[in-house]
Amino acid sequence: MNRSSQGSDLIRLGFVDRDRVEQDLARLGEGSTDLLAYLGRTADPDAALDALCRLAEAAPDRADLLEALREDEGTAMRLLCVLGASAALADHLRAHPAHWHELTDPDLGSTRPAAWAIRAALLAAVGADATAAAPVATSPDGEAVDALRVEYRRLLLRLAARDLTHDLGVDDVAAELSDLAAGTLDAALAIARARVGADSSCVRLGVIAMGKCGGHELNYVSDVDVIFLHAPADPDADDTAAATAGRIAARLAAQLMQVCSDHTAEGTIWPVDANLRPEGKAGPLSRTLASHQSYYERWAEPWEFQALLKARAVAGDLALGAEFVAMVEPMVWSAADREGFVDAARAMRRRVLDHIPAKEAERQLKLGAGGLRDVEFAVQLLQLVHGRSDEVIRPPTTLSALARLTENGYIGRDDGEALHRAYAFLRTLEHRIQLHRLQRTHVVPSDEAALRRLGRSLGFLKESEKRLDDTWQAHRREVSRLHQKIFYRPLLSAVARIGSDEVRLSSEAAGARLAALGYADPKAALRNLEALTSGVTRTASIQRALLPAMLQWFAECPDPDGGLFGFRRISEELGQSPWYLSTLRDEGEVAERLAHLLATSRYCTDLLEREPAGVRLLAGELVPLGSAALTEEMLATGRRQDDPEKAIRAVRAVRRRELLRISAGDVLGVVDVADVGFALTRLTDATLEAALDIAMRTACRQRDLAEPPTRFAIIAMGRYGGFELSYSSDADVLFVHDPVPGADPQEASTFARVVAEEVRRVLGAPGPDPALVVDADLRPEGRQGALVRTLDAYAAYYAKWSHVWEAQALLRADAVVGDRDLRDRFTALIDPLRYPVGGLDDDDILEVRRIKGRVDKERLPRGADPALHLKLGRGALADIEWTVQLLQLRFGDQVEGLRTAQTLAALTAAADADLLSHDDAATLTTSWRMASRVRNALLLARGRAGDQFPRAGLERRSVAGILGYQTDETDRLFDDYLRITRHARAVVDTVFWDDPRTQANG
Amino acid sequence: MGKQEDFVLRALEERDVRFVRLWFTDVLGFLKSVAVAPAELEGAFSEGIGFDGSAIEGFARVYEADMLALPDPTTFQILPWRSSEGPATARMFCDIVMPDGSASYADPRNVLKRTLGKAAEQGFTFYTHPEIEFYLFKDEPRAGEEPVPMDRSGYFDHAAHSHGSDFRREAITMLEAMGISVEFSHHEAGPGQQEIDLRYADALTTADNIMTFRTVIREVALNQGLWATFMPKPFTTHPGSGMHTHVSLFEGDQNAFYEAGAEYQLSRTGRQFIAGVLQHASEISVVTNQWVNSYKRMMFGGEAPSYICWGHNNRSAMIRVPMYKPSKGQSTRIELRTIDSACNPYLAYAAVLAAGLKGIENGYELPREAEDDVWALSERERRNLGIEPLPKSLNEAIAIAERSELLAETLGEQVFDYFLRNKRAEWDEYRGQVSVFERDRMLPVL
Repeated sequence: MNRSSQGSDLIRLGFVDRDRVEQDLARLGEGSTDLLAYLGRTADPDAALDALCRLAEAAPDRADLLEALREDEGTAMRLLCVLGASAALADHLRAHPAHWHELTDPDLGSTRPAAWAIRAALLAAVGADATAAAPVATSPDGEAVDALRVEYRRLLLRLAARDLTHDLGVDDVAAELSDLAAGTLDAALAIARARVGADSSCVRLGVIAMGKCGGHELNYVSDVDVIFLHAPADPDADDTAAATAGRIAARLAAQLMQVCSDHTAEGTIWPVDANLRPEGKAGPLSRTLASHQSYYERWAEPWEFQALLKARAVAGDLALGAEFVAMVEPMVWSAADREGFVDAARAMRRRVLDHIPAKEAERQLKLGAGGLRDVEFAVQLLQLVHGRSDEVIRPPTTLSALARLTENGYIGRDDGEALHRAYAFLRTLEHRIQLHRLQRTHVVPSDEAALRRLGRSLGFLKESEKRLDDTWQAHRREVSRLHQKIFYRPLLSAVARIGSDEVRLSSEAAGARLAALGYADPKAALRNLEALTSGVTRTASIQRALLPAMLQWFAECPDPDGGLFGFRRISEELGQSPWYLSTLRDEGEVAERLAHLLATSRYCTDLLEREPAGVRLLAGELVPLGSAALTEEMLATGRRQDDPEKAIRAVRAVRRRELLRISAGDVLGVVDVADVGFALTRLTDATLEAALDIAMRTACRQRDLAEPPTRFAIIAMGRYGGFELSYSSDADVLFVHDPVPGADPQEASTFARVVAEEVRRVLGAPGPDPALVVDADLRPEGRQGALVRTLDAYAAYYAKWSHVWEAQALLRADAVVGDRDLRDRFTALIDPLRYPVGGLDDDDILEVRRIKGRVDKERLPRGADPALHLKLGRGALADIEWTVQLLQLRFGDQVEGLRTAQTLAALTAAADADLLSHDDAATLTTSWRMASRVRNALLLARGRAGDQFPRAGLERRSVAGILGYQTDETDRLFDDYLRITRHARAVVDTVFWDDPRTQANG
Repeated sequence: MGKQEDFVLRALEERDVRFVRLWFTDVLGFLKSVAVAPAELEGAFSEGIGFDGSAIEGFARVYEADMLALPDPTTFQILPWRSSEGPATARMFCDIVMPDGSASYADPRNVLKRTLGKAAEQGFTFYTHPEIEFYLFKDEPRAGEEPVPMDRSGYFDHAAHSHGSDFRREAITMLEAMGISVEFSHHEAGPGQQEIDLRYADALTTADNIMTFRTVIREVALNQGLWATFMPKPFTTHPGSGMHTHVSLFEGDQNAFYEAGAEYQLSRTGRQFIAGVLQHASEISVVTNQWVNSYKRMMFGGEAPSYICWGHNNRSAMIRVPMYKPSKGQSTRIELRTIDSACNPYLAYAAVLAAGLKGIENGYELPREAEDDVWALSERERRNLGIEPLPKSLNEAIAIAERSELLAETLGEQVFDYFLRNKRAEWDEYRGQVSVFERDRMLPVL
């Protein structure tokens, strides 16, 4: 073979450093090129070859070694694969070269060593008699400890060779590793007995494995979790003897742990972790059975029972251990019924996700979305929910449990199998990562060489890094996708009576699971599910595909039952529409948004039920339309209809659609509260503009006029004027008109009144779409006054009767609808009134405060709590608005920024002009926004307006949900509200009432 | 039913329990109790026992009265003083929840739990060890009469036929029967005054234990024909009843106050914690010393502090750093001497912990140690050393507390608001009283 062809062969085989390879081959001598093909199938051919050279140098029987490799393909593959995949085992072989003979054993390919044989080998290594009831090590202490390490690695070497070469199932590897750990614990106990001496015979010590070792699914390197228990060897021991036995047991346990974890010349094995014991680190290392029992009966936390799922007697006195397992088992299976168990378990998982450092989250195998923990968690949760009534699904090993859950219908068959494949892959990858240096790690390395080695060890000999990464990511995605569905999908098989060979979940089990997931009325939920999914129609089958995810989304919201019921009604309405289900199925976001709205907001649900086609809207941006586009659409819509009634219905339908767009954006958190106010205000502008247009045209037609005899405008007042409307606010307005030159004033006036009345009537009339109440009570002389006045009449009135409270009301006037020129002239008329030159005199200031005092006392509804009224309460909307308005009246003529109808804008301007501190302005802004958001959320949640902070119950839960709080911490929302408004009240006391400041410290 | 609940239900059967008392604590620290029959208990575990929160001091606003008491099965105990013969009575502490399942912010137990939760977020657990003082009188109190102490002994006295030691023996037996370990007990300085120290435990357990302790002591006293009181200062001339509390923070199983080789073996965390408690001492005074009468204990020197300072083995200091025992790093702790026996232990411990955590969070500097007896210093000397007085009256304490964000944050808005309103009312009522002192002093001469 010439050099260059050999070179390309080497690269094809996966070598990287050709020069080095040739040197190494030369070192090995003649015939070594025969090994190249074998090396090409190892995880890291360069490393394997290099390690082989070193081993050959260290081995006294070098010639035999090379001979064996050349002659026996099995031996060659086993040895080279180990050398290529594990630097740590290569080091071991160099230190103990004789161990290469282990890998010549042909049985390795076919036979799993029995647990007893492993135990016997490990005990023999320390000179203990494996057949004794309590074996004691007879080798001198130091030698025994080292011998144990060497023997452990010898057995590990054999296992690694089987794993890497003979396609061992990952569950078999994990089980064998657990057996190896169990035997090691027993041998370490034998050394501990030797250290303690003759005393050790007066106590029986049992070692219970927990966690992965207990579940028979250990990793290559991991802490081994254990719990110790003891009993005096003499069953009739008195109290003193029992206490002595306890002390000796603690010494034995401590020595056992030390034997395993100590670092000697032969390295360490693994740390033994006894922290899962009762009281954790604070508790005694070993307890009697009775002491364990009383702890678990009285003090243990829910998670401790979850941990006990995996308890298994593995070493020491197995009979005693078996008693322990029998004692705890019934407790484990009642843990799931504990109030709040599922919540606690889920919250735990959320915390786990939150706590992974962002840097590692991406490369974590164990934690993180789609990680091993996701599968283990889901399996354990399902075991706990259903295991009490069904013993079949109780096995402690994740993969076995998964198989049983699948066989018995608790998880869908395809899902179960996919999850099985993903878990097996992730575990294998974890094993290979750990095997390299025998280090405990769950992070997938990011350097290319390591990825290449891992990929090759998993059989991706070409494009190893990429294929490894692709496969890993695919499994990860699969796990996080399935993680949601496995809880929900079987619920459908419980209700859908369709031909299927899958085992069905019983309706009791389905009810238990729905309750565990947060549905308050599982029976009703099952009925709704049945209605949605029964039958063999295409609709039903799409629903069956859709519902698992919908059920999960409902469950994450405040009112899952309401959400499911709403979904059923809308689906019944729209079931036949071709676009409906396909939109939900194909555009995941629409379905999720719909679920969220239905299970959170009754207001949105109502809007959707009025017109289910609104579901389509959810596919869009949910950003409110711009003012111009909206007005144009509404005007055009109105003008397309000749019949005024039809025209106004069309306008109101557009308004309903836009209300849904805004409220959906609000509930889903994509629109800010100030923007909600702006959007609703613009929507009202457009609606009034269109209604005015229709009313003017109708009035002209009725009177046979070509042109209206008067110009007409609508002035927004109050919260409408301030761009602060809420969903159900009335629109406060003034109507103003100005007869065209030459028109009969009387006729113009009648015309204007008819138009104003018509606008109010058509928008306020009940109908299929939400009404808009147009309220003109703020007009001069209130309800006694004329509904519409001319501009001149307003001027005359204000010149004569102007009170400071009227000036205050005009602060919020915004001339927005109707004749542009008339609007400007109205604004020019009122500006001197609302921003009086030189501000207010002392009498006027006193008057404003006097009226506010009266409002505080009298306007609050009877029995309302002043701290909780969102409008008139302590530090709430009215407090803040009056404070801002007083500043506007006093300084509006000097500070341009104050001349605005918007509270928050005026507040910012006031702070910029040093009329109050920026901190105080921020405090007021926060409170104003909080109160506004709660008010909006309250309406969205229950579909009706309210001014009282919601009482505890479903309403408060929903409000909390809309405001972004967890639904189980509604009292935190309450606490936040009280604190924010208290702070605001302190600012109002200073700025509005001019009270000496109650300065907060800290 | 979980197995904790199963255990309780089984115990009810086996011990022939006829009544279960569900205990919780109102905002002022009074123990509230609802008795339920064992048959109702199963429902109580899953749904809680509904009650009218507005009838409990500080729990709820009138129109939002529905609350639920959710018994905590891990606190199940047979009451020993009712079980000597015949059917037994048991008790459990409750958490208060709203009808929507949210934990109530108005529940003092929840106030402490929340604060402990904040500490846990920073990796700390809070341990406390209270030394509870109280008086024993021969008879139950009668309006207008000075009570007669049970004996005339003094500090650590041991009398051969001491009622006091009989009393303490029975009380301690009963406490131990309820799973509360007693560390130490002795006669205190005042006539009839006793002190019993509870073993250190995490603050929530301690607070539960203090509530139980007060009940047990009262019951035992009644059994022996005596009257026990935790009133902070029952006599003008004898020392008051404090509840000095040793506190420490642990990080995992390490004492966070301990640092080998540091001065007094006190770590930086320990120093910052002390600095926090000192800095905010006046603000939390209304909680650590919540009654009009509390401030009378704190004005005569002795074991009750009046000034904000700390010292090493300085018995006049508000915070004492006890003598260091070599090789006992785990027991490094500080002794807080303001708290009195009539506080609401949940709120008091929450406030102290919050103040200490604030010190750690903001890295407060520990002021200079007070080496002298602060009582003996002149006003000017104290000012020169930067030693400020604690509030001298409930009125002063309320005024400072009203401006305290720390206190509002710790107690939560509902408790903060209710508590201060209640204290303001107490002060106003007190202010209007004409006292024996005034009559004795003035009637003869004016």
